[in-house]
Amino acid sequence: MPRPRESFDRELQRLKDEVLALGSIVEEAILDSVKALGERNWEEAERIIAEDRLVNQKRFAIERDVLVLIATQQPMAIDLRTLAAILEIVTELERIGDYAKGISKINLMIGDAPLLKPLIDLPRMAQKATDMLHRALGAFVQMDADLARSIPAEDDDVDALYNQVQRELLTYILADPKNLEQANYLTWAAHNLERAADRVTNICERVVFTVTGEMSELDTHFSVTEDADKSK
Amino acid sequence: MDKIHIDDLRFYYGSKLALSDITMGIQARKITALIGPSGCGKSTLLRCLNRMNDTIRSAHVEGRILLDGQDIYAPDSDVVTLRQRVGMVFQRPNPFPQSIYDNVAFGPRVMGAARKGDLDTIVEQSLRGAGLWDEVKDDLKLDAQRLSLGQQQRLCIARVIAVKPEVILMDEPASALDPIATLKIEDLMRELVQDYTIVIVTHNMQQAARVSDYTAFMLINENLAGTVVEYGQTGQVFTQPRDRRTEDYITGKFG
Repeated sequence: MPRPRESFDRELQRLKDEVLALGSIVEEAILDSVKALGERNWEEAERIIAEDRLVNQKRFAIERDVLVLIATQQPMAIDLRTLAAILEIVTELERIGDYAKGISKINLMIGDAPLLKPLIDLPRMAQKATDMLHRALGAFVQMDADLARSIPAEDDDVDALYNQVQRELLTYILADPKNLEQANYLTWAAHNLERAADRVTNICERVVFTVTGEMSELDTHFSVTEDADKSK
Repeated sequence: MDKIHIDDLRFYYGSKLALSDITMGIQARKITALIGPSGCGKSTLLRCLNRMNDTIRSAHVEGRILLDGQDIYAPDSDVVTLRQRVGMVFQRPNPFPQSIYDNVAFGPRVMGAARKGDLDTIVEQSLRGAGLWDEVKDDLKLDAQRLSLGQQQRLCIARVIAVKPEVILMDEPASALDPIATLKIEDLMRELVQDYTIVIVTHNMQQAARVSDYTAFMLINENLAGTVVEYGQTGQVFTQPRDRRTEDYITGKFG
């Protein structure tokens, strides 16, 4: 006879695999969108924009399956927290997918004007953010709270690169006001990547909550439950 | 084709209409749950599926119930064969006051499995199928009523599958059992459904949600007869019911 709840465990594992699959699509989209921007590849940009529909579909399919599992299997404790985490994480992934779509739209809006400068920091930001995302999703699937806690600190690197990009693009605007439009677009692309890394921090918080049952904000090292007690 | 198709069924106790205008299909090798508040007619409907209601003198049926396309209420249909093809497990386990072996062997003996070797095989296969073999294999001569309630219920399931049915009807099969025994029955059902079509009546909504592939929600209508309000895939019924009454029931607004 199968162990009790074996079919629940199987379905939960399948949903985790779906989250990883969605994560992969979104990681690739971020990297590809920046690469296409640098290479002025509009076909690729269009492809990434169209692919966003698939990202949305997968996200809704996962959400629907999570709700069915909750309604039909009455999960408790860590199982329930895991399913709640999946709902949150796919929302974050869908947003990150939107950022890739945004960068692709920027690529098209810049059009056939040559780039102000070769892209160096944007690809670095993209690489860093997707690397953080990959490890965060790994932490989720492994239920590794320590790994999840260690990732948000790297967001500082992404923020530093973002500041650098902004400063550099500002000099281009000051040098020639005609550069304003493209500089704005590129700043916006950098902003998307900075936001993507922020979303990874949210995912890491969710992983820690799933494993420990405690909600903390990982970037400010501030625990919600601690402060609530202090205010009494 | 549906394994069982209920076609415009009306069921009467004497002149009192108890089930009204029920039309639905039961899918082969799936678990279909009948849920609804007390008195809505779910057990009555279940007992129509193997004509157990024939034992009630005043009962009569209008409409048809088709098993593999053949009406089980046709004048020439054989009730004994029907009840071999469509077995039943009841709310309170009801093992015969005999040994474990004889309980399971009873049906096959009646059907003519004369050779002991055959019977031994059938008994073992049935007890394995019911998830009971490992617990009882060393003492098949034990009086069945010495088993725990959960084991007795699995023995009753072994007894049903010993005659190689196609459909297993279960009327609140776990309501007399503790939570662990209940989970074992539910896991057993998911195993059995690979080979059998299962219809279960349960007042436990969570159980219906956990275990079934399809769910039918029943209510008493304004004529005080039971009717099927909604029928669909379990995941959809419990997350997006189409009928407001279904939603009110599953969200606990009435019981």
